[in-house]
Amino acid sequence: MNVPLAPVLLAGAAVTGLVVVLLCAVATAHLLRGRRRARDVQRKRELTPLVHALLDDDPADGAPRADVVGAHADLDAIVLELLPQLRGTDRQVLRQVLAERGVVPRAVADLSARKSWRRGRAVTLLGSAAGTDHLAAMAALLDDRSPEVRCAAARALGKAGDPAAVAPLLRATRGGTGLPHGVVGMALLDLGAAALPALRDALTASRGNARELVAELLGVHGDASATAALEGLLRDAAEDLPVRRAAATALGRIGSPTSTEPLVAALTNSPDHRLQRAAAEALGRVGDPVATVPLLAGLAAPDVAVRSVCADALARLGGEGRTALQEVAGGTGAAAPVARAALDELLAGPRRPEPAGAR
Amino acid sequence: MSLLIPAHDEEAGILDTLRAALGQRYPALEVVLVDDGSTDRTFDLVAERYRLTETTPRRTADLPVDGEVLSVHRATTGDPLVVIRKRSVGRRSDALNAALNVARHPLVCMVDADSLLEEDAVLRVARPFVEDPANVIAAGGVIRAANGALTDRGTVVEPRLSRNWLVRIQAVEYLRSFLLGRTGWADANALLIISGAFGLFRRDLLLEIGGLDPRSLAEDAELVVSLLEHQRRAGAPHRVVFVPEPVCWTEVPETLGVLARQRRRWSHGLAQLLWKHRRMIGNPRFGAVGTMALPFFLVFELLGPVVEVVGLASVALAAGLGILDLGVAAVMVGLALAVGTLLSTTAIAVEVLTYHRYRRGRDLLGLVVAALVENLGYRQAHAWFRLRGLVAALTRRDPVWSAMPRVGFADAPTAELAAR
Repeated sequence: MNVPLAPVLLAGAAVTGLVVVLLCAVATAHLLRGRRRARDVQRKRELTPLVHALLDDDPADGAPRADVVGAHADLDAIVLELLPQLRGTDRQVLRQVLAERGVVPRAVADLSARKSWRRGRAVTLLGSAAGTDHLAAMAALLDDRSPEVRCAAARALGKAGDPAAVAPLLRATRGGTGLPHGVVGMALLDLGAAALPALRDALTASRGNARELVAELLGVHGDASATAALEGLLRDAAEDLPVRRAAATALGRIGSPTSTEPLVAALTNSPDHRLQRAAAEALGRVGDPVATVPLLAGLAAPDVAVRSVCADALARLGGEGRTALQEVAGGTGAAAPVARAALDELLAGPRRPEPAGAR
Repeated sequence: MSLLIPAHDEEAGILDTLRAALGQRYPALEVVLVDDGSTDRTFDLVAERYRLTETTPRRTADLPVDGEVLSVHRATTGDPLVVIRKRSVGRRSDALNAALNVARHPLVCMVDADSLLEEDAVLRVARPFVEDPANVIAAGGVIRAANGALTDRGTVVEPRLSRNWLVRIQAVEYLRSFLLGRTGWADANALLIISGAFGLFRRDLLLEIGGLDPRSLAEDAELVVSLLEHQRRAGAPHRVVFVPEPVCWTEVPETLGVLARQRRRWSHGLAQLLWKHRRMIGNPRFGAVGTMALPFFLVFELLGPVVEVVGLASVALAAGLGILDLGVAAVMVGLALAVGTLLSTTAIAVEVLTYHRYRRGRDLLGLVVAALVENLGYRQAHAWFRLRGLVAALTRRDPVWSAMPRVGFADAPTAELAAR
């Protein structure tokens, strides 16, 4: 059999050539990286005092302001790294430095760049450096064709800190190209307490899955003013189950005694185990002894996780709940092991705190 | 996050593994260690270090467990550690199901008992679940060979390559698999394997599919495929994510015998998996998993060793009969060597250009040499081990999970740490 060797030899030579090229690239990259690292350390050492001088409230008498415009480009990276850690005047000073060096205008121009990484980098930079000056342009990128740029825009809007971003952020969760809820949720949390009025409005005005997110966020903020609206959502049997679950968890976090009644109703009447668990856990957090009897009834629930959460909730109710739990634990019924486990846990001593929903 | 760690005779490294697990930077974490019938001092060491006290199990699920649960303990040192002692039935999946029954958090992370997690590994791999909770069902990170690395009390201080050539070759294999293979499969939304050494899952979905398959030898891949099948059939969204930054350092076999057992088991498990989910293979209803990933694993991973071993045998036979054209054979061997080396070199290049964990030039040189040496002997032996695994599956031998002898993680000398 005659095998045509020439193409095989050619292919072999080509592949070997590629291997050699890759090996050269590896060696070069390794060497260059070492040198670059040393150079970066050196440059940071030189530029950091300059940044400190800018932030110094009480510069040495007569000392001229350092030349920030002519400083090396690495200064931008140092300033951008420092910005998220600063507030107030210091933050404003560094923003001013970036504006003087032309970083902000360049980023604004890059918002419409053809390459997605440039748009993403620009919006991220504006979120950290430009405050609320370019909110509309940044919000426009929530509809960008690249999902990474959309996420970067959401995060940047959160960092910019303007509550006017609540509406565009919630709108961005819609449709097939909608942003992941976690990204929007974290951006909304970054906006802080200033966003609460807009979030409360959105609790009734927005769509189902946005309401779920908003309910969760109001709970994380512990916003007592949202209690009535959240209780309304929990009571509404026609409401989506994820929204009702989020409302129950949020009410537990807020901890108002007025929430006991709707939470007990959800625990007792809902056929959904996940809602029952959320309600039982919330009752434990609220700590109202009125919940003792329904939680005791929950120890006989068919779902093992509901039983465990009810037992834990009883343990958190204080004296009345624990006494009831001890009576059950001393018995021989099916609920006894769950009650004993909850009491054991109580005696085990302090552990890392758990957030709501960790059941 | 509940970190589930099944352990069987892991006294060599269990305290380091627990230290790394409990030292994770994560806001709400518990560690559930399952002492799966250890015959060494695994439990005693943990009991002593964390002052364990027996407790009533707090069950959160009712998954069936074959090995009897003997007792449940919790740490009294303030660490969020629960330890389950159970009889072993020789299956890791049984131990994990026992852990799932007491895990309380919405996400579970399965970690091998011979692995060290970097301190923010869990935080990073959990990020896709936080950002896209509706779609992400599982996520995995990068596994690297820990043998030879400089460690200090459960932390890899400096990644270094072992002096053992078998380990070096496996280090290249892991780079190839994680930095090239899984990244590509994840991009195609066809990632089948989230390594059992470090994988993160939604607990509610694991309970819906009835936990891990107790008969499977490749329970990690089996779990992912079952989840994908379950979600597809339910019409529910599903994304399996590979996060390249978080790193888990694991101990890899140092002897050929142990490696042979491990690879036979993997091949046996893969055959079980493909047989169990044979209806998904080539089925467009299951998207890229059905049309790309499963056929790839069938042809290249499962049947590849058959072609390789039969090919080698036929060359040897032809040489014996004097009908082998040595010139042609030499050219073909050269081409095979070049292609094999190209893949490994690409993986090393990706490592250097992106992650650059191995800082020392001599380690990089070691990786490059291992990429060449791998083709001469190791590759052929590996094909043989995998073929034997396939034969074991075809002859329906009872799947048995055998523990790997451990040497543990040697702490770096104090002088070396002080000099850093």
